[in-house]
Amino acid sequence: MEETQVIIRTEQLGRRYGAITALTSLDLVVEKGDWLTVMGHSGSGKSTLLNLLGGLDRPTEGTVQVAGQDLSGLSENELARFRREQIGIIFQQHHLIPYLTALENVMMAQYIHSVVDEVEARGALERVGMGHRLRNRPGELSGGEQQRVCIARAIINSPALLLADEPTGNLDGGATRMVLELLRELRAEEGFSIVLVTHNQEVAAWGDRTIQMDDGLVIRDDLVGGTPA
Amino acid sequence: MLLLLTKKALLSRPGSTLLLLFVVILGTAAATALAGIYGEISHKMALELRSYGANILVEPDSPDGSGHLLEEDLARIKTIFWKHNIKGFAPYLYGAATVTASGRSERAVLAGTWFAKPIDVPGEVRTVQGVRVIAPWWSLQGGYPAAADEAVVGAALARRLRTGPGGTVTALYQGREQQFKVVGVVTTGGYEEEQFFAPLPTVQGLLGMEGRISRVLVSALTVPMDAFGRTDPQTMSKADYEKWYCTAYVTAVAKNIEEALRGSRAKPVWQIASAEGALLTKLDLLMVLLTVMAVAASATAVSACAMASMARRNAEIALMKALGADSYQIALLLLGEIVLLSLLGGCAGYLLGQYLAELVSSRVFSSSLTSPAWLFSVAMVSAFLVALLGSLVPLRRALLIEPVRALKQE
Repeated sequence: MEETQVIIRTEQLGRRYGAITALTSLDLVVEKGDWLTVMGHSGSGKSTLLNLLGGLDRPTEGTVQVAGQDLSGLSENELARFRREQIGIIFQQHHLIPYLTALENVMMAQYIHSVVDEVEARGALERVGMGHRLRNRPGELSGGEQQRVCIARAIINSPALLLADEPTGNLDGGATRMVLELLRELRAEEGFSIVLVTHNQEVAAWGDRTIQMDDGLVIRDDLVGGTPA
Repeated sequence: MLLLLTKKALLSRPGSTLLLLFVVILGTAAATALAGIYGEISHKMALELRSYGANILVEPDSPDGSGHLLEEDLARIKTIFWKHNIKGFAPYLYGAATVTASGRSERAVLAGTWFAKPIDVPGEVRTVQGVRVIAPWWSLQGGYPAAADEAVVGAALARRLRTGPGGTVTALYQGREQQFKVVGVVTTGGYEEEQFFAPLPTVQGLLGMEGRISRVLVSALTVPMDAFGRTDPQTMSKADYEKWYCTAYVTAVAKNIEEALRGSRAKPVWQIASAEGALLTKLDLLMVLLTVMAVAASATAVSACAMASMARRNAEIALMKALGADSYQIALLLLGEIVLLSLLGGCAGYLLGQYLAELVSSRVFSSSLTSPAWLFSVAMVSAFLVALLGSLVPLRRALLIEPVRALKQE
């Protein structure tokens, strides 16, 4: 596979926390634009993988390359720059700043990236169907709405890779489907890649490929071959 | 956006913000009040110290100090560069005369002086000069002479002559005789108790030395001597000499007086000048220490408050880091809050500190205080120092937050 087509490449990637091995010798290649779902039970190593891909943690073995950058040799500030330029993150608990409005939460991500553009931030929220809730604070929004604000914040800086850690974990069925449809649409428009961590088999079916992890090892790697209608 | 984030972050936790602001205000107010009354205390203390005796002695410029100065030159002291620092002066003309009272007679030092003489210098405010001004500590039984033939006798001499207020003393000098009415007996604990004090013109007439004086004692407000002040002015460069001359060192003021009085040599009375300098230096040090302690105590309190506040903001900071904020951006955000708190705390602390300084000045020194313009700068710098020093440890902790761990704990 040509290197320009690869968004993620790990070689013998491992992470240990003292005596505990969270991830073992992972060789993984993900193509640009792919939607990779990572499944596994708690402690299987899926969140560790997500953190390593997002430059939020450092490997103890092997290498990890994202968007052509080897993250192993980067300093803390270089990793921060990598995150703001290449990565969008969606959390299960949303992690919106409670005293900022939906619009300000998105603008904060712009501020961290470069310059604030309110029109663009407003546009991002309108794209995720939150144009009518711009001035509401997170506490005034439902879980699904908060997650949509979180998605708008994640895509505002046009990332190359979107990392989603159990993005539908706290949502009901309707909201889950809405969020996943939104991700599918945005990926089609923006062309970013997605790595999504979930416990849910139905959610996994929305991706192009699913890897199953257990005890820090990839035990299964399936091409799903399409998203459900 | 930085201002918006800062403002909203502060308003989102009003309790912590108000507590932080309160501590910054207190620290700033303490520093401002201390700095405000510092000048006042130094000035009042210096004035107070001036009442313990003259600190400059002016003698004729001869190897042994013999000879005479001219009384007519004395007014020039109020025209010199340091004229506003001259709090008082008194001329003395000495002569050894035979004094007789109550049938007892002995040789004594006859001192002619000004007790309280109005001095008019063109272009200057009229002042009163004399021993009443430079030696307010004299303990006097009776009063000061008001007429040319009235005198004050030193307590020891008065005891030996068995005289006192209301008595009469006759002074004899080279065949010339003058009768004095004793109006006061002075107790000082010093050499004055052996002398006989009479109005200068009368003594000049008796000694046959009209217009002459033996020496002048000057009481001047000066600054404590430092290493530069102790440097021999003759070895100084022109620039250094000007700096020395324009600083109110006792030596510089003495030099200035010396230039005004013909044929004179002015020198500091070192036991007075040194003690005064040492006391004022200690006072300066005390004020600086108190100010530093006030700022340090406030900074410690700010640190404790900021630590508690930061603990509640771990997730926010972790989120910003996860979204790509680097150390500089995090530091900038937190410093933005510090600057905002400093500005608000500085202004409020300045007003409170100024009020406290005025209160202390009126209650302790019974005088009104005019705050100098630089006091506002002191307040703002103090506020910033309090906020910045207090935030250093919390800031360092914030920069060390690991986003993954902090977000997981949420």
